[in-house]
Amino acid sequence: MARKIVSTGRGGAGKSTFVALMSRYLKPPSLLIDLDPDLSLADMLGIDLAKQGKRTVVEALYDAVKERQRGGSPITPVEDRFKGLIWGDCLYEGKGFDILTLGTKDMEGCYCYPDHLLRKTISQLAKNYTNVVVDSPAGLEHLNRNIISEVDDLFIILDPSEKSLTHIKKVKVILREVGTMYDHFYLVGNYMFDEESEKYFKDAGEIYLGRIDYDKNVEEYNLRGESLHKLPEDSPACRSVRKIIEKARLT
Amino acid sequence: MGRITVITGRGGAGKSTFVTLFARFINPKSILLIDLDPDGSLAKMLGVDLEKESKLTISDALSNIIAKGKDSKGKDNIPDLLRRMMEEGKIAYRDKKFDLITLGTKFTPGCYCLPDEMIKETIRNIHKNYELILVDSPAGLEHLNRKVTPDIDDLFVVLDPSEKSVKHIERIKYVARGVKISYTHLYLIGNYRFTGETEEYLRNTGETYQGKIDYDPYVREYNLKGRSLLELPEDSPASISVRKILLNAGYQVTCQQAVGR
Repeated sequence: MARKIVSTGRGGAGKSTFVALMSRYLKPPSLLIDLDPDLSLADMLGIDLAKQGKRTVVEALYDAVKERQRGGSPITPVEDRFKGLIWGDCLYEGKGFDILTLGTKDMEGCYCYPDHLLRKTISQLAKNYTNVVVDSPAGLEHLNRNIISEVDDLFIILDPSEKSLTHIKKVKVILREVGTMYDHFYLVGNYMFDEESEKYFKDAGEIYLGRIDYDKNVEEYNLRGESLHKLPEDSPACRSVRKIIEKARLT
Repeated sequence: MGRITVITGRGGAGKSTFVTLFARFINPKSILLIDLDPDGSLAKMLGVDLEKESKLTISDALSNIIAKGKDSKGKDNIPDLLRRMMEEGKIAYRDKKFDLITLGTKFTPGCYCLPDEMIKETIRNIHKNYELILVDSPAGLEHLNRKVTPDIDDLFVVLDPSEKSVKHIERIKYVARGVKISYTHLYLIGNYRFTGETEEYLRNTGETYQGKIDYDPYVREYNLKGRSLLELPEDSPASISVRKILLNAGYQVTCQQAVGR
């Protein structure tokens, strides 16, 4: 069974950057799942899903529903049809990793249903990979949906503000209340951390694994839409992520 | 009828900072501030400790109602009970200049559809009492799908300098069109990380760019220490930028002379 890794945190902290860089150092094959409707993980890996003819989970769900409305097989439940579409239409296969993206919904209502379907599918998909890495949307709501109920490694990416401390506490209460289990709970400081803020979070009573050093290249690559997999091995961000992953024994 | 102004954007862009300074320098008589972020930090930035003031968040109020409902037969429905709590002053925090209602964190499984629906209902009920309703959104897009404010006057999008921001603007418009949220103005705001060079990106999007919030070392320090941004010096870079942006967007601000347009 795959190791289940989740990266979460407040908005803009650097969750996707962390996942993109982490995926370089994990033992392949990994399945990367982007749960953010404001999808960006694929962009960060230089993948244009639409150009590759890949659908998002939300689009596949629309497809399954439309197919039924047009009079598709009444024997196959929409959910089963959707599962088939995920394998065939949504999964992008890269080198050493595959990627699956939730996508943006343009209908009224929340993401409970797509998230629920994904939750059921993930456990089946997971069998084929060494790691399943989930990149979460900003904030807390996704935690209430308990999409992965047994997490091996949970990484919280932090920005240096008092709000991050409150955030950590809230995350823990929600996980407990909704019944999400996790083996490891790790804190990671983002590029805005300095010595002073590091000290602050080392005393937070959780395992602090280090910070991702500021890296001019990351900003530039993101602005240009260039893949973070092309970032030089010895650049500050790569080196820090590698160290963090080693400390978490994920390499 | 209150003007409805919504601030949105990608995570960490600086939405709450903008909202706090917006509330501070804007000049109408009555403002209702709404924090739609479950990870809410607006109260803290305004220097308000809701717990100490014994005010409930909408999520807390709902879980109280639901917990009580389990032991009584309760003929009242949830919206009515919530409205009563609101009237009894258990939810809205009242300051000299503004009232504040927060969504709060939910600790039970499931989404924020019900709490959001309750806020939507609340806005419908009380927006007549205010000149301005100022909404601080959670990061991302999901809140738009729930259409908490279907008719927006001014929609401000606070952006960080990355290619993702440009895509983010497109997605906002895509969702707004899909769920039928209307807005009179869409304004782009650059955050403190923009430089002259990256600002060009925002000028060339075809949307109305209203300027950027300059980097302000005080904001960083105040946020780290959990200090209220209402105490930020009036002439600090962020304070001045926000007033300029508001003037550009046609709002009246306090201490206008200090801006030096």
